[in-house]
Amino acid sequence: MSLFSALSVSASGMAAQRTRAELITENLANAETTRTPEGGPYRRKDVVFQTGSAGSPFAEAMNSAMDGTGGVAVSEILVDQRDPEQRYMPGHPDAGANGYVAYPRINPAEEMVDLMSASNGYQANVASMSAVKDMLQRSIDLLR
Amino acid sequence: MSIAISSLLPITPIAPSLGPGAAAAAGKSTNFASVMDGVIQGVEQPRQEANQAVQSLLNGDGELHTVALATQRADLAFDLGLQIRNKIVSAYTEVMRMQL
Amino acid sequence: MLNALSGNLESYLDLLSVRQKLISSNVANADTPGYKTQDVDFQTEFQSMMQGGQAHATEVAGLKVNNDGNNVSLDREARLLSENALRFSAVSQLLRGQIRNMKSAIDEGKNG
Repeated sequence: MSLFSALSVSASGMAAQRTRAELITENLANAETTRTPEGGPYRRKDVVFQTGSAGSPFAEAMNSAMDGTGGVAVSEILVDQRDPEQRYMPGHPDAGANGYVAYPRINPAEEMVDLMSASNGYQANVASMSAVKDMLQRSIDLLR
Repeated sequence: MSIAISSLLPITPIAPSLGPGAAAAAGKSTNFASVMDGVIQGVEQPRQEANQAVQSLLNGDGELHTVALATQRADLAFDLGLQIRNKIVSAYTEVMRMQL
Repeated sequence: MLNALSGNLESYLDLLSVRQKLISSNVANADTPGYKTQDVDFQTEFQSMMQGGQAHATEVAGLKVNNDGNNVSLDREARLLSENALRFSAVSQLLRGQIRNMKSAIDEGKNG
């Protein structure tokens, strides 16, 4: 179990937060989308994180039993299954027989807060990776 | 979290286990061959530890600083062994050169 | 011989490495539901590592748990990250100094 594995752990954190940010951006872009190819309005997407293996590819290439635990991965992407929000807009092209249009249940303010959290998380992983890289560099300096 | 620096840096005599003094302390005979053996032993062990450390690094599960320190120790032991050998050899040749 | 010179410092670096891995893990899992912050009890583990033992990770008590069970505090992890990196830097510098001194001592001896 070497310090190199910490780099993989941070990389997995960065990847996970980036996926989360991408989904949030998609949610924000589609906050008012009433029409999708699958039919119905856009449904909000969310990530589920799970602690998981983050083995270093170098170690895998060297066939070592790498202790890669401690990383994180997106275990699934949840699609909002709740009923869409109904707004009364009789003139709208997507209005139903009763004059209601189905809108996605997305609160832009919530999504923005979530996006900031993803961004903070991403940066924290970058800082972590940078510190580990510094420690490894110091170890190399011991050889000089 | 304060650890007294003094507990981390023990002042120990340099190379107590390498060289003629150690051989005498260990009760072995201090003839030329056994002293040289002692020096070689003192170099061989750090060298093997360094090799093992490098091997574990190549296998992907060694700590980098462990390898660096093991390598440095092996280098220092080798340097020291070399200097001791040179001294011993030069003392020997000087003795051989003495007019009888 | 040379182990007495730097063995304790090397154990310290080993422990800092273990702690660093846990910090990286905590940061990566800052938003994972149910994840609990892990760390090493530094003093205890350092004593045991100086005897040649292995370090053990433990869960950190006293952290605020949020709604999904996660108790990672990025502020705490950021603080420990800086501290860890600085300690590693300091100790590796000390070791370099020791190595340099040993080298000088050996090299000076050859002219004596």
